[in-house]
Amino acid sequence: MSTQVLEKQFHVEILSPRQKAENLEADLERFATRYTQAIAGGDVVCIPDNPLGKLAFQGTELIRELGLPAAPGQVSVHINTFHTKQNLDEVLGEAVDLGIDNVLVISGDGSERLPKLRAQDLGMDAAGVTSVELVQYVHREYAGAFSVGVAFNPYEPQEHEWEKLQRKVDAGADFITTQPIIGRHECIGRLQALGLPVVVEAWMSKKLHLLSDCVGYKISEDTPYDPWENLIALRNAYPECSVYLALLGFKTQLPQLAQLKEDMG
Amino acid sequence: MRIVVCVKQVPAINEVSIDPETKRLKREGVESVMNPFDLYALEVALRMREQVGGSVIALSMGPKQAMRTVREAIAVGADSGVLLSDRAVAGSDTWATSYAIASTVRHLGNVDLVICGKQAVDGDTAQVGPGIAAHLRWPQVTYVSHVSAVSNTALTLARMHEEGSTVLEVTLPAVLTVVKGINQPRVPTLVSVLASRGADVPVLSAADIGADPERLGLNGSPTRVVKTGPPPPRAADTVILDGPARDAARRIVHELRMQSLV
Repeated sequence: MSTQVLEKQFHVEILSPRQKAENLEADLERFATRYTQAIAGGDVVCIPDNPLGKLAFQGTELIRELGLPAAPGQVSVHINTFHTKQNLDEVLGEAVDLGIDNVLVISGDGSERLPKLRAQDLGMDAAGVTSVELVQYVHREYAGAFSVGVAFNPYEPQEHEWEKLQRKVDAGADFITTQPIIGRHECIGRLQALGLPVVVEAWMSKKLHLLSDCVGYKISEDTPYDPWENLIALRNAYPECSVYLALLGFKTQLPQLAQLKEDMG
Repeated sequence: MRIVVCVKQVPAINEVSIDPETKRLKREGVESVMNPFDLYALEVALRMREQVGGSVIALSMGPKQAMRTVREAIAVGADSGVLLSDRAVAGSDTWATSYAIASTVRHLGNVDLVICGKQAVDGDTAQVGPGIAAHLRWPQVTYVSHVSAVSNTALTLARMHEEGSTVLEVTLPAVLTVVKGINQPRVPTLVSVLASRGADVPVLSAADIGADPERLGLNGSPTRVVKTGPPPPRAADTVILDGPARDAARRIVHELRMQSLV
């Protein structure tokens, strides 16, 4: 299992173009530019899997078709439980072929066009497929190919969330990525105590309604929030953790990030 | 097998509302998508092609913007597409529409099978598929929920109805309409989407397909939509079952049984 990805300090989220994109060529160009910038900056590119259940192109096919570099330790693709078995294996198989060695497994969001994996599809005797079963499947079918991350949401009812996390860890999780953390959160210490690397998510957008959707509770739009200050606070609070940068602004924040890395030495 | 799949561009149903003044669908600014039922029809066709060979043609009738839906069908897997677009077909009701589509099928030639979604979500009539069969004088099977055997001369299908389903065999050529859930439609890839953008999709006129102008558009439509309206609002009634969860669960099951809902 490779841990190169986890040795990098910043994991940069890049959303892939939607299937319904009005101007696909422009979106592909933007994706390629951002991807290249993140790789050149020495960061890890993280590509979500159909976020909010909206059909988007898979990270693996974008990397292949756009001819983007994907050496081990440079890329993390997300996979969720809303796929056909065939499609899931295509994504994972292509990731192996491309040299991608890191996946983040989440339950994800479904839609009419995104079928939920069934336990029998994965050859499992379970009531349904959650991220727990998906972690088991990846380790079983792609043994040694991936470092497998799982998500932790500190905003869900905690008893259930910790129990679920333990099941994910028992299934073979190699690292844990949190939902967005504002400043500090008591869960981080407890997560670190599990002995797995922790990636802390920083919300880099000022669009708080999207953050509300992400964390599952209402955050008023007029709440004072400075994404950059929050990133600095997280770096100071958890210097041993990598930081996942959600919705990073590439025009303004990426140069700031380069400066921050330089300052950090 | 040469299969035509009818695909319609419709407004995304989660964005549609009815104008209270005109009583018509408000389509301005609403995203257009392929009729969701047509995705299932397309998947049926693709699987048949994979079984017995042949080709799948996506056919749409509508304004030039409907080209996007034809290309989407090609991206999903159709071999080719064709768009019937002519002012003469504007305003067609289901009878005139099915006449125009049947004429296009004849024009394409050597078609063995026409597959439609069971209905379009903007009109909800479920009449165009059967209308195509009537105009072509072909057998039809509506509400197909399962395809159990495919050959180049006949199909064995299950047809869904209120009491369950009926398994039947139909000889080709024929027209099918399929229900949601018959399969899981595949998702296009980036490669196929990019390829579909360069596909040569002919745009046909009423003259091209040899249609009688008197049977198209308003002239050829024996029905008129006089008025549409939103459904009556559902009466919301909230019952709070307090007390221990086990008791509450027992009471809700009792209530549901009393209303014959379970």
